[in-house]
Amino acid sequence: MTMAEGLDPVALRKRLAALEAQAEEAREIIDELKSRDALKTQFLSNISHDLRTPLAAIITHAEILREGMLGDLNPRQHQSVSGIVNGGQQLIDMIDEILTYVRSASDQVSLIRNQFSIIEVVDQVKLLNEALSAKKRLTIERLNGDDIPPVYADRDKLKHVLGNLIGNAIKFTPDGGHIWIQFARRGADGDELLVEVGDTGQGISRDHYELVFREFAQVDSSPSRPHHGTGLGLAIARKLVELHSGRIWVESELGKGSRFFFTLPLNPPRD
Amino acid sequence: MAETILIVEDSTLVTDALAILFGEAGYTVHSARTVAGATDLGKEQHIDLMLLDVSLPDGSGLDVLDALRRDDRLPRVTLAMTGHTDPGMRRDCLAAGCTDVLVKPVPIRDLLRQIKRLLA
Repeated sequence: MTMAEGLDPVALRKRLAALEAQAEEAREIIDELKSRDALKTQFLSNISHDLRTPLAAIITHAEILREGMLGDLNPRQHQSVSGIVNGGQQLIDMIDEILTYVRSASDQVSLIRNQFSIIEVVDQVKLLNEALSAKKRLTIERLNGDDIPPVYADRDKLKHVLGNLIGNAIKFTPDGGHIWIQFARRGADGDELLVEVGDTGQGISRDHYELVFREFAQVDSSPSRPHHGTGLGLAIARKLVELHSGRIWVESELGKGSRFFFTLPLNPPRD
Repeated sequence: MAETILIVEDSTLVTDALAILFGEAGYTVHSARTVAGATDLGKEQHIDLMLLDVSLPDGSGLDVLDALRRDDRLPRVTLAMTGHTDPGMRRDCLAAGCTDVLVKPVPIRDLLRQIKRLLA
C-alpha cells in the first residue's frame, strides 16, 4: 500500500469495512466454539452421571456377594468378586474425576475457605497412599513444614491437588523410588507458600511441561501406554490452584525425576 | 418386629441391589421411584429409615420430607443419597432434616453399620 493509498478516504473506508467483517466473522466463530464447548461439557456431565448409576448397582451387588451375604464363597470366588468391586471402584473414581473437571471447567466450582494446617492434609494424603506406595516399595517423605502457619483455603480442593500430585508421583516412579513433599516461604513478606512434590520417576521432557496440564492430554497417549487414566488429573489440579490465585508448574528432565510446584497465598483476602 | 427401610431411588438397578442387601440384613424393605410414590408409601406405612435419592423424576427428593413432615409422618431417620459430593447439596440435605448425606455407591459394610447405629 502506497502512502497516497493509505490516506485515500475511500480506500480507508473499504479497509475498515473489511476489518469489521473479519472481526464479525471471528466473533461468530468464537460463539460457535463456545457453544460447542458447552455442549461437550454437558455431554460429559450427563454421560458421567448415567454411567455412575449402573456402576453403583454393580458394585453393591458384588459387595453383597463378597461379604458372603448370599452364601459362603470359596477363596477363588472371593478373589474374583473382589476383582469386580475393585475394578468398579476404579471406574467410579475415573468418572468422578471427569465430573470434577466438568464442574471446574464450567465455573461451577467455588471455594469454601477455612483456616487449617496444610501439613496435616499432606500427612493425611500420605497415609491414604501408604498401601499403594508400599506395593511399589516407594518411600514418601515430608521433608519440612512443621513451622508453616495455617493456610486460609479450601481444604478439600487442596487435598484433591495434593492427592493428585502424590498419586501421579506414585504412578510414574519405578519400584523402590523416592517421593518427597517440601515447603518454602516466598515473596517479600514470605506471604506466599511454595509446595513441592518431587519424585525420582521417569521424568518429563521440557517439550511436555505445558502439555501435561492440558485436559485429556497424556505424554504417551497410545493405547498400549503403561499408565492409564482420564488425562484430567493435572488439568483439574491447575484449575483448583488457580482458583486459589496460585500457580502450578513442573520442572523435570527425562530419566531424572520430576518436581511439581504450586504456590498458595498465605494471606488471601478474607470473604 | 423387623425395622422398615424405604428406598427412594429412580434407578431400579440401585433399588434392587439395596433391597437384597437390606433384606438379607433382616430389614423389611419398601421402595419408591418418585416423590409422589414415596410420599404415598410414607403416609401408609410405618418407616423407620428412609434412604432418599435427591434427584427424582418428578422433583427433588427433599420434597418427600416436606410432604411427610406436614402429615407428621416423618421416618425416624432419613439418609440422603447423591451421585456426587457437592457442599451446597450437602448443606441443603442437612437443613431439610437428613441425618447424613451419602455418596453412591456407599460401601455396604459402612452403610449397614451406620443404619444399625442410627436405629439402635
